[in-house]
Parts: sequence; C-alpha cells; structure tokens
Amino acid sequence: MLESYIPIFIIITISLLFAIVNISFSTIFGPQRPNKEKLSTYESGVEPIGSARDRFSIKYYMVAVSFIVFDIEVVFLYPWAVSFITLSKPEMIYSFIVGSVFLFILLIGLIYEYKKGVLKWD
Amino acid sequence: MIQLQDFNYIIPLLIITIGATVTLVIDAFSKNKNVVFWFTIVTVVAALSTAFIHIDIATIVFNNFIRINILSTTFQVLILTAILISVFSSKSYIEKEGINFGEYYSLMLFSVMGMILMVIGNDLLLVFLGLELMSICFYVLAGFMRKRIKSNESALKYFLLGAFMTGFLLYGIALMYGVLGTTNISTISSAGELIKTPTFLIGFGLFMVGFFFKLGVFPFQMWVPDVYEGAPTTITGMMSTAGKIAAVGVILPIVVSLASNITTFRPVFSVAAILTMLIGSVIALSQSNVKRLLAYSSIASAGYIMVGIASMNDWALKGIIFYLVAYVFMQLGAFIIISILEQNSSDTNEFKNLELNNYKGLAKENPVLAIFFTIFLFSLAGIPPFAGFWGKYYIFYAAIQANLIWLSIVGILISVVSVYYYLKLIVYMWFMDSDNTEYSQDVYRVSPLTNFAVSLTIVGTLFFGLFPEVFFNLFKV
Repeated sequence: MLESYIPIFIIITISLLFAIVNISFSTIFGPQRPNKEKLSTYESGVEPIGSARDRFSIKYYMVAVSFIVFDIEVVFLYPWAVSFITLSKPEMIYSFIVGSVFLFILLIGLIYEYKKGVLKWD
Repeated sequence: MIQLQDFNYIIPLLIITIGATVTLVIDAFSKNKNVVFWFTIVTVVAALSTAFIHIDIATIVFNNFIRINILSTTFQVLILTAILISVFSSKSYIEKEGINFGEYYSLMLFSVMGMILMVIGNDLLLVFLGLELMSICFYVLAGFMRKRIKSNESALKYFLLGAFMTGFLLYGIALMYGVLGTTNISTISSAGELIKTPTFLIGFGLFMVGFFFKLGVFPFQMWVPDVYEGAPTTITGMMSTAGKIAAVGVILPIVVSLASNITTFRPVFSVAAILTMLIGSVIALSQSNVKRLLAYSSIASAGYIMVGIASMNDWALKGIIFYLVAYVFMQLGAFIIISILEQNSSDTNEFKNLELNNYKGLAKENPVLAIFFTIFLFSLAGIPPFAGFWGKYYIFYAAIQANLIWLSIVGILISVVSVYYYLKLIVYMWFMDSDNTEYSQDVYRVSPLTNFAVSLTIVGTLFFGLFPEVFFNLFKV
C-alpha cells in the first residue's frame, strides 16, 4: 500500500535537494557586489514610489467585489447554457425561468450598485 | 423535479425574499426612508399572516429539502414576531443615532430569510446556508454604527469568532456525511445503529458546537457580552431573540429525534447547562452596564434552554418553545426600553446613558417606562404572574420527567442567584434618587411606533403569563 508513495518521496527529495544545492552554491560561490540600484525594490522596472503600506481607495474593493460577482455568474451560466439544448420542452421552459430569476437577482444588485454611485469614478 | 405546488409551502420565505430584494431597490431610488420602513412592515406582516396557512400540515417538499410541520411553523411565527417588534422599535432609534439607512431594513429581512431557511431546512447544507446568511447579516448589523469604536469591535469580534466556529460546524457535517453518506436530516434521524459509531458522534458533537456558539452556551459564551454591548441596541434585541430561536429551531428537532441514540451526550449537555447558567448569573452580579448585564442574563437563558436540550424528551420540546415565546416578549421589551433611554451621542461617538447609575430615580421621572421595565425584569427573573415563570417551569418540569432531578435543583438554585441582579436594577429605578442633573426630558419623548412595539411586548408578557395554555391550543406542538 505505502510502497506506491515511494516515487513521490523520491521526487520531493530530488526537488528539495535541487533547490537547496543551487541556491546555496550560488550564494557561496557567486560574486557579491551590491549597490543602491540593486538593493532597491523591484517594481516591474519602474522607479519605486512611496511606501507599499498605503491606503487604497474603496473603489478598488468595489470593483473587485463586482468582478467576483459577475465572474461567478458566468461560471454558473456556462453549464446552464450547455445543458439547455439537451432538455425536453417543458424542462426548457422551467430551466429558462430559473435562469432568468438568477440573472434578475444579479441585475437588481447591479441596479443597486449603480444608483448608490459605486461605479462613479471621480 | 420540483413541483409547482411546492412553492405553496414556502410562501412566508418567498415573501421575505422578495421583500428583502425590493427594499434594496426602493432604498436606491427613493430619498424618503419612511417608504423602506413601511414596506418592511408590510412584508413582515404578510409573511407572518401567511405562516399560519399550513399550520396543520406535516409534509416534506422540494426533493426532501424543506420540512413543513407544526414545529417549523411555530419557529417561523416566533421569528417573524420577534422581527416585527424589532422593526417597529428600530425606526426612532436609528433616527436618533444617525444611522437611518435603508440597508438596515433590508439586512434585517435578509437575516430573517436565513433564519426561516434554518428552521424549515431538512438538509444540513440548507441549514448551513441559512445560518451563514443570518450570520453575515448580523456581522454587518452589529457594526452598523460604523463611526463608533465599540460597534466596530463588536462586529469584528463576532465575525472572527463566528467564522472560526463555522469551521467546526462544517467539519461536523462532513463527518456525519462520511458515516451516513447523506446530509438529509430525516434520513439521519432514522439511521439507527450507525449513529452510535464514534465518528458520527464526533461529527454530531462538532455540529452542536457550531450552534452552541450561536446560542452562547459555555464554553463558547465569551463573545456575547462584547458583541451585545457594542451592537445597536435594537439589533442586540433582535440577535438575542430571533437569532437564538433560529439556532434552537435547528438543534431541537434533531436532538429530540436522535434522543435514544445519543444518550452519551446527556451528561455533557447537563454540565454545559449548569456552567452556562452559573457563568451568566454570577458574572452579571458585578456588571455596571445595563446592556452587558442583560447580555449575561441572556447567557443564563441559554443555560435554561440547555437544561431542556439535555432532557431530550417531548416535554423539553414544549418547555423550550414556551420559554422562547416568553423570551421574545420579555427580552425584546427590555432591550427596547434600554434603546428608548439611550441618549443621542453623535458628538462623542460613545454609548450614553447605559450605566446602572443612570437608571437611578427612573420611577420618579417616568413611571410608565419604569413599570414596564420592572415587569420585563420580573418576567426574566421568573416571578409567577409573567410569561417567564411558565417558561422556566416547563423546562424544569421536562428535566424532572427525564430523571435529571439534580439538574433541575441546581438550575432553580442558580435561578435564585440571578434574581439578585434583576432586583438590583429595580431597586435602582424605584428606591434611589437620581444623581444626574443633566438629564433632559427629551429622552422620554417616545415615538408612537416604539410605544406600539413596547405595548406588544408587554401584552405578550402578561397574556402568556396569565393564559399559558392558549399558546399550546394554537400550536399543538
């Protein structure tokens, strides 16, 4: 039973050794010539500005939340749309109504968000 | 396949769901907050009246997912009554405290939706869904006074501990599923010998832990005082009544139907009951804040409910339900009166006029409020002509029927201890002179809606105290 896990152990050991040996060898034998430019924060090649521990505008969170809601909506709609064609006619009507209710609830969320001024960006 | 007539049985739930969604839209389009308030009232009243339609029916619908019987109907009615009274009392309070937002009402309605799902759910996953819906709304409502540090503390504590305890609950459900291969409550109730396997018992224990947290049973009671103190007072009233009813509405039918197979849990529940009553009653003795005092008293009440749960018989079912009926009226009434006496403090962002000392001489300045508060406190203490007495009586009767005589004796002794702090508050109100010179008469200008809410609670406390049998004639539990 447990023998079947041996290959996994071997691969874990090899990958651990590989990582440790490579990093320690390059730290020990590699040349160390630090300068100000090298030690500064890497920010995609741009000059770093300010501190990373900053307060973000609440708008970013709002956009993130809206994104997640509509992202998940799509995830649910895909299987719904794909299986729709395989249904018989009364089932189709039923599943259309259920899908519409789902979309309608999310639409109300969007209307609420819009009227509360969450999408205003200034 | 779901039948169309299945929807007949969940009309209250549908009304609440539609109402909660529509209040959001109304709030977004209308500047007038009264519209949201009155729409909420109409929704809850409609749901409450339709809840009675299926009072004599016992059936299981929606592919074994929804259970409609006298128990679930009774719990629905209790929850909706508690919400109706809280909504009535909320309007003037949230106007006074400057948190008059329409979301307050829609969050309340969404939490009711969760509670109803919990009590009618016949599947652990549905129960879990309802519990989360209820809890998330409570987390937000507890922190609704967002500029007040206490309120933020309350919301954060409740959220972190609640999320942690949800983990226990889910793990319990997973273990039960692992043993029985189902999450359906009816199937679990009739599973027979498999229930006695250790894995299932561990799962069941963890499941109960999740609900004991919501009830505030020892050793999961530490969040109660902090959360109840920091939340808006009307919300505290709602959390301590409706939220508890929903949690009891889930565990009570399960415990009673499994009773013969889980007798191993009886000593555990008994000890938890005693420690809960003890902690609630003894720590309340030294409280100086009225809201904290009532929070500890609600821990003690959870202890009495636990006495019933430990007895696990049909008498316990009746006793606990009657205790909850009394509890809705007396606890909500007490919190509404506290919310009336609380002073507006938007300048300092602290709660004001909530100390015991502020209640000195209340009887001289406003005798009516003092009389009402006294009645609620007597009822909470369990003094005869009021509903609270019969609640305790039935619960201890159930314990005696279950041969837990020692438990009922200890419970009654602790209940005597708890009379002290209720009487202390009464003495402060009636027999001490006010030392507060800056007391303004504005405090006593109570709005008619709040008056109506208080009258409902006082009528309930007196009526069910004088005629306890009326309830059981109506709901043949």
